[in-house]
Amino acid sequence: MPEGFLPGLRGLRQSDRWIYSTMLVSALLSLTASFVLSVDAIILAADPHAALACNINAVISCGTVGASWQASLFGFPNAFLGLIAEPVVITIAVASLGGVRFPRWFMLSAQVVYTLGLIFAYWLFFQAYFVIGALCPWCLLITLSTTLVFTSLTHVNIRDGNLYLPQGASRLASGFVRADLDALLVAVWLLGIAAMVITKYATVLF
Amino acid sequence: MSKDNSRNITATGREALRQPQQAAATADRRVSVAIRTAWIAGLAVIALLIGVTTWSIVGARASNTTGGGAIDGLIAPAAATDSGAIVIGKPEAKVTVTVFLDFMCPYCGEFERANGGALAAAIDNGTAKLEVHPMSFLDDLSSGTKYSTRAANAFVTVANHDRATALVFSQMLFAQQPAEHSAGLTDATLAGLAAQAGAPADVVAAFPKQTYQPWVAKITTQAFDSGITGTPTVKINGQTFTGDLYTAGPLADAITAAANA
Repeated sequence: MPEGFLPGLRGLRQSDRWIYSTMLVSALLSLTASFVLSVDAIILAADPHAALACNINAVISCGTVGASWQASLFGFPNAFLGLIAEPVVITIAVASLGGVRFPRWFMLSAQVVYTLGLIFAYWLFFQAYFVIGALCPWCLLITLSTTLVFTSLTHVNIRDGNLYLPQGASRLASGFVRADLDALLVAVWLLGIAAMVITKYATVLF
Repeated sequence: MSKDNSRNITATGREALRQPQQAAATADRRVSVAIRTAWIAGLAVIALLIGVTTWSIVGARASNTTGGGAIDGLIAPAAATDSGAIVIGKPEAKVTVTVFLDFMCPYCGEFERANGGALAAAIDNGTAKLEVHPMSFLDDLSSGTKYSTRAANAFVTVANHDRATALVFSQMLFAQQPAEHSAGLTDATLAGLAAQAGAPADVVAAFPKQTYQPWVAKITTQAFDSGITGTPTVKINGQTFTGDLYTAGPLADAITAAANA
């Protein structure tokens, strides 16, 4: 723990303004990416020839990601889920920045739903990485921003005790967050993902 | 903080308070050691990840500047031009059709089904010659069997023997094109198709040697460096053909137009 080193920054990181701003920016990025992917899905549906040539620069072969069954697991493009869910996150973030405090059950529900979203986002990432074998920049942006929304939501819910955790777990979790170890964990995690992508595609990307 | 407190405590009456305070201090210290350890471990992992990533970037840069790093034992097929093309048809043909393809690319298959007949006819009657650049960038899509490379190697091996046979072989490869993410056609199937196309047994027997694997890798990089961004890319007399590649007609018309120009 960096003692006497940037204590102001640590204080800021624990503040509502920082947490909800992170959530807001990430949700906006996620919404943008979902929108682009939804539009792409519609263009592809209308005219399959739009994606005919195998595009090498994006490490995408023949629009493999967009055309895969994984890309519309529930029978419609996954990106539609982002269009539905992210505006709710944006609303929560904006309202909270404006001083609104939501009831615990509300924040717990948000946590549960968003955790499902995170699991889905990572399932897609691993499918693209290991099975489809192609990179999709907008999908990677969703992986990143979904992670940041999830971690900021979890951060605030642990800090405010919204998760109905047993006392021991709650104390442990808030100690973890107070020591900024959650930020460390997120940094390690995101760097790990970046390292996975870069080591696999280094020869194509650089 | 606790040190400052204990310095201020002088009264013996406070002695009783000391025990629990010390216990709490020990617990605090243990927690702060745990936190410190976690930070050190986390930062070490971060340093390691940055190191690994940097290493792979540096390695990739180095291998890209030396043309894929597969120069060792590079043997260029006799049938190939310096630019990495297998030329099929009469050298004096007025129209040159250049095709960059990957035998795994579904749209190359679609292109072949739409235009294969017209191309073969134009080659036969001497209107056009075909320059095929067999690429291998879809190697990752055949469950580790590197189908793109194996098929390209087989194709150029046959072309070394006879170009016309290679054209027939390439048409057969697209007619039986494996799906992406399958294991591709097996070596035995490749051999069987080549034999069916008319390649003699000794030519077919050379496939497993993968003689031209480094060459295929090199011309794939070379094609990207020359500005090719996808397959199929089709050029007529050096000009990229921008018409519809996937229905019969437009390409044949463009060949006829170029022949009459």
